[in-house]
Amino acid sequence: MAPVVGIVANPVSARDIRRVVANATSLQIADRANILLRVLAALHACGVRDVLMMPENGGIRAHVERGMMRARSRGEDIYPALHTVSMPVTGTVADTHHATAEMRRAGVSALVVLGGDGTHRAVAAECGTVPIAGISTGTNNAFPEHREPTITGLATGLAVTGRVPPHIAFSANKRIDVSLVSGATGATVTEMALVDVALVTERYIGARALWRTENFRELYVTFADPEVIGMSAIAGLLEPVGRDESGGLMVRLSPDGDCRKGVTTLHAPIAPGMMARVGITDWRRMPAGVAFVPEVSAGSVALDGERELSFSERDRLSLTLRDDAFRTVNVAAVMRHAGQNRLLTGTPVPVTAAF
Amino acid sequence: MAQNPFPLGKDELLKAYRTMRTIREFEERLHVDFAKGDIPGFVHLYAGEEACATGIMMHLNDNDRIASTHRGHGHCIAKGVDVHAMMAEIYGRSTGACRGKGGSMHIADLSKGMMGANGILGAGAPLICGAALAAKVRGDRGVGITFVGDGASNQGTFLESLNLAAVWNLPVVFVVENNGYAESTAMEWAVSCDSYVDRATGFGMPGVTVDGTDFFAVYEAAGEIIRRARDGGGPALLECNMVRFYGHFEGDAQTYRAKGELEAIRASRDCLTILSERLVEAGVIGRDELQAVDREVNALIEDAVRAAKAAPLPVAEDLLRDVYVSY
Repeated sequence: MAPVVGIVANPVSARDIRRVVANATSLQIADRANILLRVLAALHACGVRDVLMMPENGGIRAHVERGMMRARSRGEDIYPALHTVSMPVTGTVADTHHATAEMRRAGVSALVVLGGDGTHRAVAAECGTVPIAGISTGTNNAFPEHREPTITGLATGLAVTGRVPPHIAFSANKRIDVSLVSGATGATVTEMALVDVALVTERYIGARALWRTENFRELYVTFADPEVIGMSAIAGLLEPVGRDESGGLMVRLSPDGDCRKGVTTLHAPIAPGMMARVGITDWRRMPAGVAFVPEVSAGSVALDGERELSFSERDRLSLTLRDDAFRTVNVAAVMRHAGQNRLLTGTPVPVTAAF
Repeated sequence: MAQNPFPLGKDELLKAYRTMRTIREFEERLHVDFAKGDIPGFVHLYAGEEACATGIMMHLNDNDRIASTHRGHGHCIAKGVDVHAMMAEIYGRSTGACRGKGGSMHIADLSKGMMGANGILGAGAPLICGAALAAKVRGDRGVGITFVGDGASNQGTFLESLNLAAVWNLPVVFVVENNGYAESTAMEWAVSCDSYVDRATGFGMPGVTVDGTDFFAVYEAAGEIIRRARDGGGPALLECNMVRFYGHFEGDAQTYRAKGELEAIRASRDCLTILSERLVEAGVIGRDELQAVDREVNALIEDAVRAAKAAPLPVAEDLLRDVYVSY
């Protein structure tokens, strides 16, 4: 059966307050559609003939269909057929959960995701073993790698058409599971993060984003990357931990300028163009499978950079990192394999160039 | 009482709740009285949208100017305009904020920085650019806020004002109150860009989208945007996604809504319920304290209606009075 690729494109990522408190980008809807057209062209070039897309009212699909119609009117056959999941649109994260679950049930071979870390988290919560190919259209994106979307589309197409062995095409990823048990009702809320869980002293969700470093208290990351911005950068500038190694890092923070012994000041890029002083008291490795109980007793839990849950002294919070939690398309490995094996040449050529 | 986890003290939180509750009761009363035929003219109710006006206006003082819309009662109350004067104005009485000659769509109180509701869509935007230019020239750190709906955001005046504010770096905040419908036309049928943030970006200013039914989301985002404008950082656009509980105007049958849509938004997106539940759940304000506010507000609205009905109508001699204002 010919592979079908699923598409989740979030029209409302990159709209938060970091456009004002920092110089975060505002990726326009037309640009998101343009990215998607580049992905679709690359998928088609690899032999993918059908894609299944999440419906949205933000305008992405309308722009994409316009681009496809223009190509058809010029006699070009460069895009797969675009189908939409039949479901109501709420304009909330529930759409991503719903659409991902439907696509998984429909048997898609991979999911191309346009969004920030939050969008990818919502997809990862429902995708099961279907691999994700992430494209950054958010603000502080640590999870999706920054790359030309055409290449992400090509790698996805080569992977799902079986031209690259699965052990090369796909890689395992970590996540942190968060469990919050209400002291009042006994009810348990479970959430997860792909990159970071930050515990902050603000107990309201508000504008969601994190930028007031004086409120940062504890940080748990699946990988600590000094080449990204946001919470993972704080950990990455202390002790880098790769995406492909087991376990993560736990960091304790304190208001900068706190005179207590042992507080180190770190300068970290916590948002686009925003270097901030962060007080660090200590950090340690976070092994997989071990439940961590935070010291901070009340505040908010921020998942991948956005406040999502608030908790009080009465509630019980625990965090557990899991290795091998979900799969992604390993774009770099696929493209290296494609080059080494000349997968995109039209006719067989010798391994060494002949003159 | 538990430790307060919110960005406002208890008195300020109660003030926010009181403001939102006052707007709600004001509008609910008008909904009833308009149906009875007691009120002249047209009214457009702000019920359901209270968190937006309140979350923004908590950051303003009387020196800051706002320019409102045809759906302006909530903006007026949140900006501090006297509720008795507003009710009398809507009832067309000579004790009204504009001596009963303006009505619902022309309530103004310059002493509170309320430059007026406005029946002309998009007309507030250029007015607020003027007010903001004055504040900038005077150097008094005043800011100007203009409100438009998703429909009025298509008006040329609004787009020209975005441009003017950007090139003059004016202390203006353009608030798009997106309740999804321009009168009866859904946004996706009538707005060429797909996001108001895109529209702001096109004019070289930042745009932010927040959940307009969440008081704290509006309050926090508006606070940063207003501080930036006050400090000379220039204009910005704030889109508040929100819901209206009544029709475009009173009497609107709302046939353009999906079946069950209104019931669903009243059940899950009532900003007043969201705020009060959060305050009570955190243990900062007791339900009995909120109920006491409710009683005060009910008495206030009842008294405002009683006073309005008892007040005299304007007389013929008032017709040409106050047409021009001397500065």
